[in-house]
Amino acid sequence: MNYSPLLARLIEALRCLPGVGPKSAQRMAFHLLERDREGAGRLAAALQEAMSKVGHCARCRMLSESELCTICASSSRDGSTLCVVETPADVVAVENAAGYSGRYFVLMGHLSPLDGIGPDELGMDQLERLLKEGVVREVILATNPTVEGEATAHFIAERCRMHGIRASRIAHGVPMGGELEYVDSGTLSHAFAGRQAIADVS
Amino acid sequence: MSEQRRIELEPAWVLHHRPFRDSSEIVELFTREYGRVAAVARGSRRPGRRRESLEPFRPMLVSCRGNGELQTLTAAEPRGPSLRTTGQRLLSMFYLNELLLRLLQKHDAHPETFADYERALAELGAGKPEAAVLRVFEKRLLNAMGYGLNLIADTEGQPLAADGMYRYVPELGAVPLHEGGDQGLLVRGSSLLALAAEELDDEQTLRELRHVLQRTLDIYLGGRPLKSREVLRAMRAGGPAGEILAE
Repeated sequence: MNYSPLLARLIEALRCLPGVGPKSAQRMAFHLLERDREGAGRLAAALQEAMSKVGHCARCRMLSESELCTICASSSRDGSTLCVVETPADVVAVENAAGYSGRYFVLMGHLSPLDGIGPDELGMDQLERLLKEGVVREVILATNPTVEGEATAHFIAERCRMHGIRASRIAHGVPMGGELEYVDSGTLSHAFAGRQAIADVS
Repeated sequence: MSEQRRIELEPAWVLHHRPFRDSSEIVELFTREYGRVAAVARGSRRPGRRRESLEPFRPMLVSCRGNGELQTLTAAEPRGPSLRTTGQRLLSMFYLNELLLRLLQKHDAHPETFADYERALAELGAGKPEAAVLRVFEKRLLNAMGYGLNLIADTEGQPLAADGMYRYVPELGAVPLHEGGDQGLLVRGSSLLALAAEELDDEQTLRELRHVLQRTLDIYLGGRPLKSREVLRAMRAGGPAGEILAE
């Protein structure tokens, strides 16, 4: 099928979205052109504006269009705990899980020696500056429980130790509502190694 | 069309994995009987699907099929518990993986290197001195590739003397110091003999051998530096890591 040049360009451009192949791209393009030109206009404007304005928070590297993101700018946040995560999506996940009122630092990846991703690519100098300010008392390492995530956590913990700051690692274990029988052996052995005493039984 | 290759429940280790398309990844495997194999793990990055078993440093059994450069991973299951290691040792393990990725050709069987790799991982996991484990692995890997160091005799055909001093020139061997010249790396005979016997303990020996092995490996790495070595160097800039691999 030969699309007109502009249509072909739109379909090709839509394919940059995750999970969108030629077929879905074509459906989206036709939908926008036939049924929702107004929505398409809003989408185009929002895309344009977001792309030119959204950058990274100067403090935590979270996506933000202002110099400081809303979390870093908020005065109700506890500045003495810092949660280190790999991606902006992880910030959202931790926020939604509630209960955390400290600040974040987003690495935008993890140490991956074979891909040449080292401390410089992860904004480690920026993190170091935060640690040096002396406000942070505890760093919570919430990198993924993958080999690379562990390596990253260890590396940051090492830096924390040099600054005399407490570093803790999030626990890994059996998911809520899960059944032991179906939990993989790695997670189960972690869960056993990290077991906790039941405090209120005396 | 070439013959369909089929790998059934083969002992393997994941050396590296990288995202491929939206929900899959390409896994670089090191298998016992088939050497290095690259395979696509379809859907392994789909949300909710556990992918813990497709991680490096975990012994696995894998099945693949396909006939090209890139095969399709059809099954993967753990062959034992993963190595519980953290920090600096993990970086040494990544270094081993990068060496294998860079130096071994795909589909070139190296069962002896597979055994050496398992041994090195186990030793790193068990807390043996890292530098010694890495040097022995490097030596054995060079042997397996057919580029082994000559640790028996010098370039004049005389047996290496423990109290002798040599200049080690990669691809040539140990040149006795009295021959003059300024090529190669200064190394004690005792260090070379210690590497032959795989009994490495003192610091100076390890330092000398690190330079010799690194210089030799560099030849076969074709001028492209090892990324894990660079990462370690960057990490050393602010921390205690990196003394073991980086210069």
